[in-house]
Amino acid sequence: MHEPWWIAIIEALIIINLVMVTFAYLTWTERKVMGRIQLRYGPNRAGPFGLLQPIADMVKLIRKEAFAPSSAIPIPYIAAPIVSMFTALAAFAVIPFGPGWTINGWHVNGEVANVPIALLLIFALGSIGVYGFMVGGWASESKFSILGSMRTCAQLVSYEVSLALSVLGVVILGRSLSLVDIVHRQGEFLPFAAPQFVGMVIFFIAGIAETSRAPFDLPEADTELVGGYHTEYSGMRWGVFQTSEYINLITLSGLMVTLFFSGWHGPWGLGPLWFVLKVLVLLFVFIWVRTTLPRLRYDQLMKFGWKILLPAATINAVVTALCVVAF
Amino acid sequence: MIAAYSAGGALVWIVWVVAGFACLASGVAVVSFSNPFYSALALIGNLGSLAVLYLLLSAEFVAAAQVLVYAGAVMVMFVFVIAYVGPRVETPWAGAPGWQTIAAVLAAGAIFLEIVVVIGLKASNSLLHSEHVNRTFGTPGWIGRLFLTDHLLAFEITSIVLLIAAVGGVVLGSHARRRDPNEASA
Repeated sequence: MHEPWWIAIIEALIIINLVMVTFAYLTWTERKVMGRIQLRYGPNRAGPFGLLQPIADMVKLIRKEAFAPSSAIPIPYIAAPIVSMFTALAAFAVIPFGPGWTINGWHVNGEVANVPIALLLIFALGSIGVYGFMVGGWASESKFSILGSMRTCAQLVSYEVSLALSVLGVVILGRSLSLVDIVHRQGEFLPFAAPQFVGMVIFFIAGIAETSRAPFDLPEADTELVGGYHTEYSGMRWGVFQTSEYINLITLSGLMVTLFFSGWHGPWGLGPLWFVLKVLVLLFVFIWVRTTLPRLRYDQLMKFGWKILLPAATINAVVTALCVVAF
Repeated sequence: MIAAYSAGGALVWIVWVVAGFACLASGVAVVSFSNPFYSALALIGNLGSLAVLYLLLSAEFVAAAQVLVYAGAVMVMFVFVIAYVGPRVETPWAGAPGWQTIAAVLAAGAIFLEIVVVIGLKASNSLLHSEHVNRTFGTPGWIGRLFLTDHLLAFEITSIVLLIAAVGGVVLGSHARRRDPNEASA
């Protein structure tokens, strides 16, 4: 049973808009939660509870002059944010959010695209997205930007290995690289967070590093590097970079829910609502971690990634494989 | 792919032509740019368009691996090093010694000969060996099965080669660090 192509396009449009709205209000939630944890109010001027703040921010960013350093290299400088934005949004296409429905005789899938290599596709898009940050920093012709780019590159490459290895256990248990199959198997079995607890913790930590958020926010440590790779960006170009970072975070939460918390499965057959709820809880945890933990030193970051996280992820994958073979 | 087939294969042809031209153009760009950073970006484009060609051959896994490993992990190291040593650095192989030119011409000649032979075989209908593409073709499970049965030796030799390369990298890295203790903290 597969759906006609135009339903997939409509679905993609809805998903992209929902992700963008989630992004807008994620910035508001983040500032509000951070404010509360740091004994401040957070945004409270634009609209009730500051609810119009994201819209005000967007209007400000679009109206702001998008200036560039005179030594910047024009085409890569402008293309870089677009690349990161595209890869961030495209990754959401393969994440399943529901069981699939039949409306007026048309079959609607619970995901935009069901491909057998969905998990690899997300990692492939992520590895292309790194170039947005790399090229953006390089094309800015600024010391802070290039240092930020270097850090982004080194950090993302180091933690991508652990991230990919940590999901191997899930792939072995789910017997598929397709996220739809993995979710189905969790529905029959139990959420993989239980048998793959170690994998989940590694995925969570490596995921924070992949999205360069505190305590792994060295690529854009504002006290050291002004803003990292986006130091020389302003207006909506900066906004696009920021959007892609937050969307990467939302995609990562969606992926984690799909891989470890049985996706849209839940009691009372609420389907997509369960998916959204789980993603929101995870996003809150990400914000919580950001406000709680101080930033790591660079050598600590590298040591932790290569000497603790990577061996742990490898051992987890090997032990899972042995258990599956033995039982 | 499903949409492409239902559109009578026209989409397949358009994608094939675009990806093929992108592949050739980015290949020419890799050797034409004087700035190595642009060459690296063009090489990423080249690997990406190759991945699209793999997709058209129903080899989804190979396409994803191509992007993930080559366009992603390998090229990011190239870009990293080029950005690190400076964007405006002169190409170190500018004014290369004669033997490199000769080797390049020989390699290009060999590839040209190969193309001529393939076109000749195709024209004389000697290339009629066709592979039946079923549902399992190109899936991760099937490729894994082939790795561990028909191509086990090649697979294991590759893993040993990669292991040697990793050990070599560690040895070279630790040697450089011993010589310059200040560099370790950088």
